[in-house]
Amino acid sequence: MSEQELLNELEHVILMGHINEEDEGLDGTMQGTPGTEELVKKALEEGIDPEKLLKTFGKAMEKVGEKFESGEFFLPDMMASGECVGNAMEIVEPKLAAGTSYEKGKFLIATVQGDLHDIGKNIVATMIKGAGYHVKDLGIDVPADNILEAIKEYEPNFVGLSALLTTTMTEMEQVVKRIREEGYSDIKIFIGGVPTSQEFADKIGADHHCKDAMEALNKLEKVRDAS
Amino acid sequence: MIISDAQQIKMLSSSEMDLIHEGTCRVLSQIGVKVTHEDIAELLVSKGAQRKGDRVLIPKNMVEKALADTAKTIQFDAPNPDYGFTVNASENQAKFGTGGQALYMVERTSEGWKEKLAGAHDLKQILALCDQLENVDFITRPVECDVPEDQMDVEKAKIFRDYSSKPMNLANLFKRDRLDEVLDIIGDPAYVSFIVCLVSSPLVMDTPSGDKLKAIVEKDLPVAISSCTQGGSTAPFSEVGELMQLNAEVLFGYVLANAIRPGAKVLYRGIPITSNLYSDGSPRWCQPESIRRVALATQLCRYYNIPCCATAGVSDEAEPSAQAISEKVLCWTYIIASGGHYINSALGMLNQVMSVSLDQYVIDDILLKIVKEKFKKNESKEVSHLAMDAMVEGLKLFGITVDEKIEEELRARIEHVEKSLEPYNEDNVSQQVDIIEKAVTQSGGSTVFMKASRVGLRKGYLYTGNRIDSPLDLTRVDERLEAVSIPE
Repeated sequence: MSEQELLNELEHVILMGHINEEDEGLDGTMQGTPGTEELVKKALEEGIDPEKLLKTFGKAMEKVGEKFESGEFFLPDMMASGECVGNAMEIVEPKLAAGTSYEKGKFLIATVQGDLHDIGKNIVATMIKGAGYHVKDLGIDVPADNILEAIKEYEPNFVGLSALLTTTMTEMEQVVKRIREEGYSDIKIFIGGVPTSQEFADKIGADHHCKDAMEALNKLEKVRDAS
Repeated sequence: MIISDAQQIKMLSSSEMDLIHEGTCRVLSQIGVKVTHEDIAELLVSKGAQRKGDRVLIPKNMVEKALADTAKTIQFDAPNPDYGFTVNASENQAKFGTGGQALYMVERTSEGWKEKLAGAHDLKQILALCDQLENVDFITRPVECDVPEDQMDVEKAKIFRDYSSKPMNLANLFKRDRLDEVLDIIGDPAYVSFIVCLVSSPLVMDTPSGDKLKAIVEKDLPVAISSCTQGGSTAPFSEVGELMQLNAEVLFGYVLANAIRPGAKVLYRGIPITSNLYSDGSPRWCQPESIRRVALATQLCRYYNIPCCATAGVSDEAEPSAQAISEKVLCWTYIIASGGHYINSALGMLNQVMSVSLDQYVIDDILLKIVKEKFKKNESKEVSHLAMDAMVEGLKLFGITVDEKIEEELRARIEHVEKSLEPYNEDNVSQQVDIIEKAVTQSGGSTVFMKASRVGLRKGYLYTGNRIDSPLDLTRVDERLEAVSIPE
C-alpha cells in the first residue's frame, strides 16, 4: 500500500467511525479489519510524517461534519469518528517534533456535584477531543473542590460544566463563583444541560451557554479563533 | 375506567416475556447494581445477594421472592372519599393523574405561547384546576415550589392540603427527615404516595434515594419505583436490551423495598424511551418507538401481575399543538390497552417533561374523555382502530381538518408502535447483556450505547414521519377555563 493509499484508507476508517479491529464500524461489517488505531500505528512505522496524519484527521472530520449537516450521518457516527481521532491523537502526539503540539487548547469538563448525568458531557468531550483539543474529563458528581484542584494542576484554557437538574444548577453557580474568586478570570467557562440557558450563564458569570455538542464546538472554535 | 380483556393488547408472546425476564435476571445476577450505601448493601447481602467490588449481584430467587412478596393491591385514599380508589394488579382498571417536576409554565399571551419559570403559585393554580377536571383521578406533583430545598417538602405539602381533594402523589421527597412533618400537614398518610428514582441508568443506585425509599417503605406508604432509560444513551438502543436493563433497575427496587418491608406497597414505573440520535441526543418521550417501548414495559409489569404506574402523554412539543394532540392520544390508547393501572404524567405535560400549561391540562381532559369513550363503546374493536378513531376525533374537536395525508401519517405511527424490528431470541439477549456490561464497567457508558446504535439507526428504530402542523381552535379551552375557579 502506497503512502497515499494508506492515508486514504485512514480517512475512510475515521469516516466510518472504525476505532480499532474490535469494533464493527458504521455498517456493522468492519470487525476484524484494521481500524484507525492500527492504521495510525502502521503509518508511523512506515515513516509517514505525523503532520500528514494530522491533516488527514482534519480532512476526515470536516467530511463527517458535512455529512452530519446533510443528514447522512447521525450523532453516534460523529461520536465514533470523534473518538477515532481522539485516540489517534494520543498515538501521534509523542511522535511530533519537540516543541510542537496538536493541541488547540486544554478543555476541562465535569458534571457538577449532585448530578449523575453524563450523556451531554460525554458527547461534548468526545466531539471536542476529536476536534483537536486536549480534554480532561473529571466525570460526574464532581465537587467544586475537585474542579478547582484540577484547574490548578491542569491549567485549562476552557472549562465546561454540565447540570441536568434544577437542583444542581445552584451548584454550577457556586463552581463558577469559586473559579472566579480563585482568580482564574482568563478561563472561558462554558455551561450546558437542559435547564440552563444563556440568561442563566450571564447571571452566574459563565461565558457561554451551549444547547448541544455542535454549538459547544462551534462556540469554542470561535472563542479560540478570537483569542 | 375499566377495559375489557379483549381490548388488552399483548405485543409479546409469553415465551418472549419469559426471555426478557431471564435476561433481566442475568443482568442482575452477572452485572448487578453499583451500591455505595453500605447499610443497604449489607441488608441485601443478608437476604442472599453477593458483592463483587462495589456492585451487588442479585440472584434470580431474590427477584422472584420480591415479586411474590410485594403488595398486589394498593389503596389510594383522598380528602374527598369519593375520589379514593384501589389499584388491583389483576384488574384492567386505569386511573389518570398529572406528573412532572416541570421547570416551566407555558402561557397563552397576545403574542403567542410564552414560557416562564414555574413556582409555588403555579402549583396552586394547577392543583386547583385539576381538582375540578373530571378526568384527573389523582395528582402527582407537576411543578416544584420556588423555595429553598430544605423547605420544599413542607411547602409542597401545605399546597396539596389546601388545593387538592384527590389522592396525592408528592413524587420526590427532598429531605427524608421532613417526612413526619409532611404527613402531619396532609393530615392522613393514606392520602399520600411518592415516586423514587432509585437507580440511575445504567445500573447505579443513587444513595440518597436509597435512604428516601427506606423512610417511605418503613411508613408503609405507596411508592412508585421509577426508571427512565433512554435507548441509545443510558441504555441499549435495542428494545430487547433496553427492556432488560430497565426491568433490572426497577426490579432491583422491588428487591430492596421488600427486603426493607415484605409486602411493600410498590408500583412498577418503567419508562424506556429513546434518545434523539439524529441530532442532539435529547429524549423522545412520545414518538412511536418510545410509545411502543413504554407499552412493552407496561405489559411486562402485567406479566408479573404487580401494580403498574405507567407514564403516558408527555408530549415532545414545546406548546399546545395538533402534533401534541396526536402524540398524547396515541400514547394513552396504547398504554391503557397495555394494562397501565395508575397512569401519571398523563395530563398537562409538554416539552419532554420540561413544561406544563393550564391550557394543556384542559385540552388533555377533553381528549382523555374521547379516548375513554372509544374504549367503552367499542369493546371488541382492535386497539389500532381505537387509536385511529380517537386521534381523528380529537384533532377535529380542536378545529383540525383531518385529510388523507394526516390519516396516512397517523396510520404509519400506529404501524410503528405495533411492529417489532428485532428478534427476541437468546443470541440477541446475550449480545445486549454484553453491551450493558461493557457500558457499566467502562467510563462514559453513554458512548458505548451510542456506538452500538449505528446499525439500529439505519434499520429505522427511530420513527421518522411528518409533524402534524395546524393551528388549534381553543374556544372549548377558553370556555372550560372560564368555568373553573383558579387562584389569581
